[in-house]
Amino acid sequence: MFEGVEAFYRPTTVREALHLLRKAKGTARIVAGGTGVVPGGDRSVRFLIDITRAGLSYIRKRGGAWTIGATTTMAEIEDSAEMRMLAGGLLASAAAACGSVEIRSMATVGGNMANGSPAADLAPPLLALDAEAAIAGTAARRKMPLADYLAAVCAGKMKNALLVEIVFLEPSAARGGWCFQKFGRTAVDISLVNVAAGLQLDARGRVKWARIALGAVAPLPLRMPAAEALMTGRILDRALLAEAAESVSDTVHPIGDIRASADYRREISRVLTGRALEQCAARAGYSL
Amino acid sequence: MNSKKDPALPAKPKNNFSRRGFMRGVGIGSGALGTGLLEKEAAAAPAAAKVVGPGPVPITLEINGKPVHLTVEPRVTLIDALRNHLDITGAKKVCDRATCGACTVIMDGKTVYSCTVLAIDAQGKKIETIESLGTPTKRHPISQAFWDNDAQQCGYCTPGFVMASKGFLEEHPNPTMAEVEHGLGGNICRCGTYMGIRKAVLEAAAAMKKGGKNG
Ligand SMILES: Cc1cc2nc3c(=O)[nH]c(=O)nc-3n(C[C@H](O)[C@H](O)[C@H](O)COP(=O)(O)OP(=O)(O)OC[C@H]3O[C@@H](n4cnc5c(N)ncnc54)[C@H](O)[C@@H]3O)c2cc1C
Ligand code: FES
Ligand code: FES
Repeated sequence: MFEGVEAFYRPTTVREALHLLRKAKGTARIVAGGTGVVPGGDRSVRFLIDITRAGLSYIRKRGGAWTIGATTTMAEIEDSAEMRMLAGGLLASAAAACGSVEIRSMATVGGNMANGSPAADLAPPLLALDAEAAIAGTAARRKMPLADYLAAVCAGKMKNALLVEIVFLEPSAARGGWCFQKFGRTAVDISLVNVAAGLQLDARGRVKWARIALGAVAPLPLRMPAAEALMTGRILDRALLAEAAESVSDTVHPIGDIRASADYRREISRVLTGRALEQCAARAGYSL
Repeated sequence: MNSKKDPALPAKPKNNFSRRGFMRGVGIGSGALGTGLLEKEAAAAPAAAKVVGPGPVPITLEINGKPVHLTVEPRVTLIDALRNHLDITGAKKVCDRATCGACTVIMDGKTVYSCTVLAIDAQGKKIETIESLGTPTKRHPISQAFWDNDAQQCGYCTPGFVMASKGFLEEHPNPTMAEVEHGLGGNICRCGTYMGIRKAVLEAAAAMKKGGKNG
């Protein structure tokens, strides 16, 4: 494990962490919870930069916007009274589904995003909430849509950037409902497919907007704009749910691997999307 | 296993990048980079608290209520520090990749896989291992319940399961069978003694409530 590591740094500010990262020219690795990076034990890493003391563990609300610091743990999100309320507990329930309790004690939201895994359980809920990522890199701090950040990580373009925090607006609660669904081989395994969905209805049961995001079905966690668009403006009924779920299974392009075949993942995408939307409707107080 | 002597170490890059150069470049506490003066500054006291290594560094861990001092390289995990440096061998190293739970300990009240925590990162945290739980003659209610329910066969997973159970019961003093099953999902028993373990945890919960003992 980490046979090449020469030194360990514990910066107390983001600025210091960035200096270290830049100077290491790709030979340093950020460590947050360590659940991804420590078991990997990459031999080419020469410097470890522990960011858990850099003041990035927080869940805050300012105005209508929520901010979650990068080193906030799954356990902290899962146990936060505010996160259990927000969007019907969408994020709290996804955090609670992330590995075992031992993993959740350490695993952070920043690591979950920066790891670049298509199965990351917090990605679909955050994408569905239209979250943005605040990044500190060589240039000034900037915000970008989380989807763009995930794509950049996947393309290997974020090696010298620090994910500082995740920001999203509090969604409107009136006649709305949200749901996270995960399907894995066991309760603690990574997702074969995960889905986050949310919708808001008008007084007559017409869909004002729908948000659907899936993970582990493509190289990146993805929003499903076609399914969302086909629901918008229509009366919510079982036929519409089935149509949206069908559209999702047409859009995904999963891989087959040791855990499941591509066909199986595609079928699970349809079923889980249907279940998630059904739950959203129920939570919006609407009977189908 | 001094990293400097490790033949598997990748060769130093051509630009002669070294820790000294690295620290100089960082220029802790100043905007000016790369002067000899700064390098000395960086090596002085305040920075030393943040920058550790290369090679073994002295650390202090609080294990089972007692501070212990040891010297480890920055890459050493908590499980290796416990077992190889401190001879505290209750926690077992099995998968060494955060999957099986044999190495479970409690850190600041939360169960963690000690194979996935760097020892250096465990400084300043309260670490509880199986060694803190009762004695062979005066067993902790969880150990007693494992004993009474034949909740082990080879026993290799047991220390991890007992610590995971302790962490679980602290958060769920009145668990259902389904909650026990889910809450211990991060620990694997190759001998398949799950039913005994789950029953033991339910019994321990009842015993701990009756005895008013919470650990
Ligand atoms: C047994 C096991 C089960 C798991 N189960 C799940 C699961 O069910 N669902 C799931 O989503 N994941 C799962 N994971 C994966 C992993 O635990 C999570 O993705 C976790 O959130 C990673 O966070 P971390 O803080 O531990 O990351 P670390 O290991 O500390 O870091 C992961 C990567 O991200 C980089 N990084 C971390 N923080 C930042 C930052 N702020 N800015 C830039 N780069 C950063 C690191 O350099 C590293 O490359 C599992 C892992 C294991 C070992
Ligand atoms: S040895 Fe740590 S989880 Fe298996
Ligand atoms: S008793 Fe043998 S692994 Fe659990």
